[in-house]
Amino acid sequence: MTREIMLLFLRKELSDLRSNRQVWPAYYLLPIIAIALPLILLIALPALTDAAQAGHDAGARMILETVMNDPRLGGGTIEERFARFMLRDLQLFYLFMPVVLSSSAAALALVREKEQRTLEPILATPLRDRDLLLAKLIAAVVPAVLLTWAAAMVGIAAGSLGALWRVGVLILPTAGNLVALVLLAPLMAVVAALAGLRASARFTDVPGAMQFTGLVVVPFSLVLVAVVGRPAMLSPVAGMAGAVFLALVAYWLFHRNLRRFRREEILTRWR
Amino acid sequence: MPGYDLPMIRADNLSRSFDGRFAVEGLSFTVPEGALCALLGPNGAGKTTTIRMLLGLIPATNGSAEVAGISLPASEDSGAALRARVGLLTEAPGFYDRISGRANLELFGRLYGLDETTLASRIEHWLRRLELWEPRERPFGTWSKGMKQRLALVRAVLHEPKVIFLDEPTAGLDPAGAREVRGIIADLRAEGRTILLCTHNLSEAEELADLIGVMRRRMLVFGPRESLIEGGTGLEIELTGDPDPLVHLLSVLPRVRSCRAAGRVLRLELDDLRRATPEVIGEVVRLGGAILSVRPISTTLEEIYLRAVGEVAA
Repeated sequence: MTREIMLLFLRKELSDLRSNRQVWPAYYLLPIIAIALPLILLIALPALTDAAQAGHDAGARMILETVMNDPRLGGGTIEERFARFMLRDLQLFYLFMPVVLSSSAAALALVREKEQRTLEPILATPLRDRDLLLAKLIAAVVPAVLLTWAAAMVGIAAGSLGALWRVGVLILPTAGNLVALVLLAPLMAVVAALAGLRASARFTDVPGAMQFTGLVVVPFSLVLVAVVGRPAMLSPVAGMAGAVFLALVAYWLFHRNLRRFRREEILTRWR
Repeated sequence: MPGYDLPMIRADNLSRSFDGRFAVEGLSFTVPEGALCALLGPNGAGKTTTIRMLLGLIPATNGSAEVAGISLPASEDSGAALRARVGLLTEAPGFYDRISGRANLELFGRLYGLDETTLASRIEHWLRRLELWEPRERPFGTWSKGMKQRLALVRAVLHEPKVIFLDEPTAGLDPAGAREVRGIIADLRAEGRTILLCTHNLSEAEELADLIGVMRRRMLVFGPRESLIEGGTGLEIELTGDPDPLVHLLSVLPRVRSCRAAGRVLRLELDDLRRATPEVIGEVVRLGGAILSVRPISTTLEEIYLRAVGEVAA
């Protein structure tokens, strides 16, 4: 029954998403940024390299030193190393994107049911807490991850072609990119969505749940992106270790959510 | 209610407190299979809390219950089994505004475990029966209040539950819409379903219920409708002359609880209307009273309700 219920909620959330214009901006803007950013950086590459080489300010000098001294950026011209440096870090955006999308969808998942007064009829069905939480989790994560993958495919292709045009070298994709996209992006989305779901179950109003998610869940997830995602860009093995870590965090969070999911609290605290 | 023996809903000393304050206290009642029980009570009387406890959505602080053969408090498995046997109509319809009425029913039908074919035929049957077939593909948010409430009623019966809980099913409906919904409830009762109806509407309870309970935190009055409403114990005797001299003499009769005069009318409250009436009339005649008319005073549900609720308030 669980798989069927997950598909039901996924279909319902997708259909809700299609007709809910309030949530469209995030689903439009983030993919556009994901695709445009590598191109903008590559177009601006000569100017950035020149500025760094001129050494007029301390920040530019520091970047130049990093770029020149980091052995993981390989050999090649200074422009090639710069392009590699920027595109590598830019890939973190593909971990940031599912975090934002899935956590905000999850933050709304239960609190919007409360607001629409649909939660009590749902809880009155034979649906179990585990199935409901899993369905809501999948409904928040799947659209976020699919959109991220689609944007990443186009973004990486654009970045690769752009790098080929600018520095004559195919920089993307790297093994780290692929590990991050295939393993880390979904797991980051799951962790962020589980934190968002907890907020959604506890809060009694949409603004409260959204604020908590924006101020606590997203920043905390971004720290996770930096801690787990950055090493992954440099080493696929580090990426896989990060994936195992995230999977454990997700497992723990899911069971914590399940233990703390109180039908009573949700029904009686809601007015 | 001849022939209804099996208790389908049984609450035994059921209590529920929130932050140390009782919302429901020591509630006990039984509803046999196939009966419609109306629970009346003012706002905050604990009617919705009672329904939620009987559905296993919130646990009771004290006491136990049994609904559709399943004991409460329930485990996760028996709780799911209980919810599969019970239909619920909440005060607000509780559907998704952006998807169609049919899609809403499909979603809930699947959550109740109905397969696609059964669900499709039941949805068509009920939507046609409740005249909702035409607008079925329109987003639910565009439907009128009466249509929304009827759709909620469809959801409550879609999985053919043994027991149906209806929480204020006609609240906010116009008279025509309310009448329509009452007609459907009467049909469901006629089909043999056990129904617990929470309502503020006394005439609705009077029209539909086999059993009536008045509650305010605890059960104040509970019993079959006939014995509550039609089994009044009052008698009115209209005389040709002044009834005042008779008041004191009649008050001391063994089956007379009280007697007072109002104009040319004597109003008596008796222990047993059937047995006491001939005795009282005989005594009036013996004392020289000339009787113009005699009629029993039946207690209305409104009187029962106000008396019960008023006593608690006092």
